Amino acid sequence: MLEKRIAQEVIDCALSTGGDFAEIFYEDRINNSVSMRSGKVESVNSGRLHGAGVRVYLGFRGVYVYTNDTSREGLLACAKRAASALHSDVRLTATPLKAADYVNSHPVAILPSAVKTARKIEKMRAAQAVFSGYPEVVQGIVNYNDSEQRVWIANSDGLYTNDTRVYTRMYTVAVASNGKENQTGSEGPGALMGFDAFDSRIDPEAAARKAAERAVTMLHAPVCPAGVMPVVIDNGFGGVIFHEACGHSLEATSVATGASEFSGKLGQQIAASCVTALDDGTMPNEWGSENIDDEGTPTTRLVLIENGILKNYMIDRLNSRRMQMPVTGSARRQDYSFAPTSRMRNTFIAAGQDDDEEMIATMGDGLYAMSMGGGSVNPATGEFNFSVQEAYLVKNGKIVHPVRGASLIGRGSDLLLKIDRVGKNMRMAQGMCGSLSGSVPTNVGQPRIRVSSITVGGR
Amino acid sequence: MEKDLFIKKLLEAALTAGVEAAEVYTAENDSFRAMSHNGEVDNYSVASRSGLSLRGLYKGKMGYAATEAMDEEAIPMLVQGVIDSAELVEDDVVQEIYRGDAEYPQIDNYAPALDQVDEEAKLRLLLDMEKKALECGDERIKQVNYNMVNTHSGSVRIVNTYGLDLRQRDNLAVAYVSVVAKDGEHVSTGTGFGCGREFAALNADKMAKEAVEEALFMLYAAPIPSGSYRVIIDRRCMPDLLSTFSSVFSADAAQKGMSLLAGREGEMIAAECVTLMDDPHMAGGLASGAFDAEGVATKVKAVIENGRLTTLLHNLKTARKAGVASTGNASKGGYSSPIGVQPSNFYFKPGEKTLAQLMADMGDGLVITDVSGLHAGANPVSGDFSLLAKGYMVENGQKTKPVEQITVAGNFYTLLKNIRAVGCDLEFVGSPVGSPSIDVGEMDIAGK
Repeated sequence: MLEKRIAQEVIDCALSTGGDFAEIFYEDRINNSVSMRSGKVESVNSGRLHGAGVRVYLGFRGVYVYTNDTSREGLLACAKRAASALHSDVRLTATPLKAADYVNSHPVAILPSAVKTARKIEKMRAAQAVFSGYPEVVQGIVNYNDSEQRVWIANSDGLYTNDTRVYTRMYTVAVASNGKENQTGSEGPGALMGFDAFDSRIDPEAAARKAAERAVTMLHAPVCPAGVMPVVIDNGFGGVIFHEACGHSLEATSVATGASEFSGKLGQQIAASCVTALDDGTMPNEWGSENIDDEGTPTTRLVLIENGILKNYMIDRLNSRRMQMPVTGSARRQDYSFAPTSRMRNTFIAAGQDDDEEMIATMGDGLYAMSMGGGSVNPATGEFNFSVQEAYLVKNGKIVHPVRGASLIGRGSDLLLKIDRVGKNMRMAQGMCGSLSGSVPTNVGQPRIRVSSITVGGR
Repeated sequence: MEKDLFIKKLLEAALTAGVEAAEVYTAENDSFRAMSHNGEVDNYSVASRSGLSLRGLYKGKMGYAATEAMDEEAIPMLVQGVIDSAELVEDDVVQEIYRGDAEYPQIDNYAPALDQVDEEAKLRLLLDMEKKALECGDERIKQVNYNMVNTHSGSVRIVNTYGLDLRQRDNLAVAYVSVVAKDGEHVSTGTGFGCGREFAALNADKMAKEAVEEALFMLYAAPIPSGSYRVIIDRRCMPDLLSTFSSVFSADAAQKGMSLLAGREGEMIAAECVTLMDDPHMAGGLASGAFDAEGVATKVKAVIENGRLTTLLHNLKTARKAGVASTGNASKGGYSSPIGVQPSNFYFKPGEKTLAQLMADMGDGLVITDVSGLHAGANPVSGDFSLLAKGYMVENGQKTKPVEQITVAGNFYTLLKNIRAVGCDLEFVGSPVGSPSIDVGEMDIAGK
């Protein structure tokens, strides 16, 4: 752990050359992973990540130095190195550290470290057993990961706080093959929870069944035709469309520098009026939640878009200086080797008024994207792309047959305005999001929605 | 604890605990990264990080454990971690800790002068790139949205209970600049990039110019009608595609049913003009090395020779299973990762024709210069891809208008067979995977 006395020394040292803000982030983390292929445990890996990073600001300039040497001397050397990169006549005295308190909103009943690996493997076998019921599934992969991350954060504003984040996830992949062609399906439920997640949130059999059915369905599907058409996107991981097409462009990382297509548009209509979208870091035990962010700020429930009007951005400390707007508890980082920046947490389109069946029945000819893969975006231009894991061709309002290999492309600002139906049943799904400050757990989510026209890539 | 002593104690403790053979793998890394915005350095990060992992055979099974904390407590934790994990492993392929090769190639991946470059020089290059891009004289260039200089210097070491002790150092400098061009509703980005072990060779002018030219050329880009087009994938884009599908050449993927190339050694899998090389000895190569992640000496080989699959890439485990010798392609994603398989410097051997000649031969068609969304839109298991793409039209062999907001879709295995010609313009751009421009025949495009 990071002792208060040492944290204070480090912060004082970091401010000694004229910085106007200093912070230390100290991390100790245990990771466990098990991978199983075709029912056999292939590897079991445990590791301990351990280090700290010191950050100093002067105006908009930021310096970050990190190290594995977390002895008092190591941390002070780290602070000194950070301080040496900034020079000014300012001499601030740090506010004395005071322990900050919060209520833990994400209870963990069973720490993963208290559970024998053999019991974790039993859960994996339950998923694997499902695969054997599908003759065309030639390969089943089940991965299990857990992590206990303990962080201590202290800064020159007097903050001294800590958090423990416990993650558990199972990832199942089915490969279906007819000898000439392969198709895959995957499903990876997870939670900000311990082993108790298997009692409430992670159902290994259900995940494996979805993965297997998807792979088998796609093996028998012809390739998706290319063109511009209406698309219905299902709930759950379908929310990746909002994550890519809009979410990244609302992170202060791209907004503050004016690089985002949504810079300077607060209060303006950027989406169809049926669209309300949130980024909520407070949802109990959700994959993208945490009590405090990686700058020690309590997380928030943030309305990004309300009835089509842009209401908020996701803002970290450095960018809050640039934007002269308050922080939103959105600063995140993969681990101590990254300086934090604004990132998404649990990001979703809120439930609307429309009927799931009606939106397909009235769409004419188009595509029903039942399960999405991942995607990416260039926030400067808003150009996004994502792949569809499981899609169905719709003719005259009726689902005709599955199609494979579809992708959706477009520009975020354009897509948001073309959403013409928002269903009632919001559901979220888990993913890992990669950006400037590394890879962090995020939830995506939405009810079923319809986009009136979108470019579908296919053959 | 001093590292040599830690390693010695750790290996002794492993043997004492009944581990039959053990190996320590360490990675150390010093890095520098700076970014700037509007002439000010706003993100500056320096670090040193080291990690260590222990692998060991216990009752014939391989166990793993890793740590970044190297204190007295870490030794029993690592040894117990290896034993616990080995006891749970059910994979029945016999694994081994390598005894070593008689000889290792001499590979120079480390330029001492690069480690001596001071931070001031790095910051000068950084600010210069941004300034040169903004002062390009074209007012449509509104902003530099990403500007970065990064250097790293690291070493890996493999020490095992058979007395093997291998070390390798490497360092590298990377610079990257991205600009935004705007004109009314039109917006585009362009990037400039440089990397190498000679810092002075990173040219701010050249990188800024590349970024500006690309952004301006793409500014008025538009989709083209959906349909089937003749396509050349250029040398900047082809490496991304090859890299994404490189796992199809891994024996590990093949043995697990994740590659359709399983058991197809000796068969024609590509057009006759295609030769695919894996060259870990390449001078200046980003993935050059004398030994792989298991300590096996690396080798130069053709993976595809004139269209024929000659070998898959192996580590010790996959080689033993297939009854062949390791090709020296064992990899580790990080110091703590399990052993996998990966190519080294991996590239299509260049042919005779320039890009202009390929375009002339094609007549009318499309040159693709960039694809996005590879992590999701390309599936190495099926070979299918459907990707957001950019590029330009070719009419009568001449470059005409820029194209964006299209997708290119196909299948990697089919693409290999449909290749009509391989260009001569091979270049490695910040990646150990390289390619010349390649005429891939007909492809399906979705546009407007």
